[in-house]
Amino acid sequence: MAKELKFKIKKPTIKQTKADHIFDVINVIILSLLAFSMILPFINLLAVSLSSQVEISSGRVSFWPRGFTDTAYRFVLQESLFWSGMKVSLFVTIVGTVLAMIVTTMAAYPLSRKTFRERKFFMILFIITMVFSGGLVPSYLLVLFLGLRDNIWALILPGLVSTYNMLLIKNYFETLPEEILESAKIDGANEFQIFINIVLPLSLPTMATVALFYAVGFWNAYFGGVLYISTPSKQPLQTYLRGLLALSYIPIHDLPPEIAERLSTDSIRAATVFSATVPILILYPFLQKYFVKGLVVGSDK
Amino acid sequence: MTSNQKELSIKPPKQVKKKMPFVEYMKLNWMMFIFLIPAITLVFIFNYIPMSGIVLAFKDFDIFAGDNIFDSIIVSPWVGFQQFHALFADHEVWNAFRNTLIISTYKIVFLFPLPIMLAVMINELRHLAFKKVVQTLLYLPHFLSWVVITALFMQVLGPYGVINNWLKELGFIDRSIAFFGNAKTFRPLLVISAGWKEIGWNAIVYLAAITGINPQLYEAAKMDGANKIQQIAYITIPSITATIAMLFILRLGAILDAGFDQVFNMYNSAVYSTGDIIGTFVYRKGLGEDLNFSFGTAVGLFNSVVALILIVSGNYISSKYFKKGIW
Repeated sequence: MAKELKFKIKKPTIKQTKADHIFDVINVIILSLLAFSMILPFINLLAVSLSSQVEISSGRVSFWPRGFTDTAYRFVLQESLFWSGMKVSLFVTIVGTVLAMIVTTMAAYPLSRKTFRERKFFMILFIITMVFSGGLVPSYLLVLFLGLRDNIWALILPGLVSTYNMLLIKNYFETLPEEILESAKIDGANEFQIFINIVLPLSLPTMATVALFYAVGFWNAYFGGVLYISTPSKQPLQTYLRGLLALSYIPIHDLPPEIAERLSTDSIRAATVFSATVPILILYPFLQKYFVKGLVVGSDK
Repeated sequence: MTSNQKELSIKPPKQVKKKMPFVEYMKLNWMMFIFLIPAITLVFIFNYIPMSGIVLAFKDFDIFAGDNIFDSIIVSPWVGFQQFHALFADHEVWNAFRNTLIISTYKIVFLFPLPIMLAVMINELRHLAFKKVVQTLLYLPHFLSWVVITALFMQVLGPYGVINNWLKELGFIDRSIAFFGNAKTFRPLLVISAGWKEIGWNAIVYLAAITGINPQLYEAAKMDGANKIQQIAYITIPSITATIAMLFILRLGAILDAGFDQVFNMYNSAVYSTGDIIGTFVYRKGLGEDLNFSFGTAVGLFNSVVALILIVSGNYISSKYFKKGIW
């Protein structure tokens, strides 16, 4: 006690040296620049999406729109594939996340219980999937065999069990005090009741984190769409965006020429990517703390 | 008698349970198996059945040989190690394998130390609101897909992009540099974009480790007149050495993962010589262009087996020396 007191008294008397002050200043400057570099490309993208074709191709657009025009956004918002992609992605993300959470949490519970003798066996069964896979071709042929080709469920079912996410939940369940679960058992509760009434309510923050991990994974998935979906209107948004990466001409439908000539492939791509990413950019600051929390929980097992 | 009973109750419950007869155990635990059914079923279908599909690597698979795909696999003739002979003779495979190792090594050499430095720097920030803003911005790109990141970099580095505009204005170049279409610039492009995307996120583990350092160490060092650089060199870094070593070994174990999603979105035929990796090669040969299922499976299997050995060894070393692994 006396020692602590001494520290507290001494602390304010230690003066910051000049070297420390310089260190702090440089540190703040470097981190500010680095943090700023994370949003600069988005500002550039936004500027391009709002600029006219002439200004872009003469190389004058950097972080502020030149020759302001919203033609690119009008073009994107009337694209039926943009909207169908949005719908598919929303469906896959919402349904996929809900199902994945149910399946993953249910599996994590028995694996976290020390009274469950076979937990080691099942753990190994799951962990093997983390280190070995049959590879791309057999997985593709399986989806074909199941008749899921060109079916939205091919984007959901294979991604429902992530062993990594399951271990995050399992590790958290293991930190819950054993006595609570045991006393509930003595009171006559069965495992299902313990799971629903005790374990789940105590684990909501971790569940939120893992649900967000799943949601981000489903939302960002483009490869399933590349592999399995051939009908353009069934493709998820990210696969549609991927198609635009190689955009070399303007897919003009019946645009009047005076509008078409204001568009460039760059501005169309920029406007599409920006429209597709804005929802995430808006949600992200509010959800960020959950992501970090989950990672930290997972790292100190 | 009473003392005997007490002793019994003190006995660790584990031992009592091990002696529990099967019927009684199942009565208490049958629900556990029910809980596992959905996940095990999915894992069996989508992970274990494809694993049996590696027989394709030893066959000359023709998808139309039978009534359905499963039948076709059975009907197709065995060819032994023929696919693997073709694999080892194929210079494109070796090119992809070499690129995988080179790109991965570049990423480890240039990108592994950065999150450590970043974590140390973030930790030194004292203005809490500023710290939070910096962290929020730095984690952001991790949550965007490689499709979106590729679009961003294509814009910034494209023919009408900011970088080319500046270089032209400053008079360094007359014509735009095609960063994405140049075999020489492609690997640096991969390293820089991967660093930009993941530097913040990868710093979190180190930040968590730094948070666990006893603050009294810093107090004592300050009393002894240590400045910030000295505190970092003699307290912060030594305290997280175990974490660094563990993550380094696990990272080495994953060396065959050069970043499929990144390369798949960024590359094109102009940069195959320096940018084509095993994953993208398997996709092109097995599904994308050639539909040579058996050859694609063989290359994939070769890759999986080597990766398995590396990952398991890395995890073994990590759990042996640092008591912590991926699982």
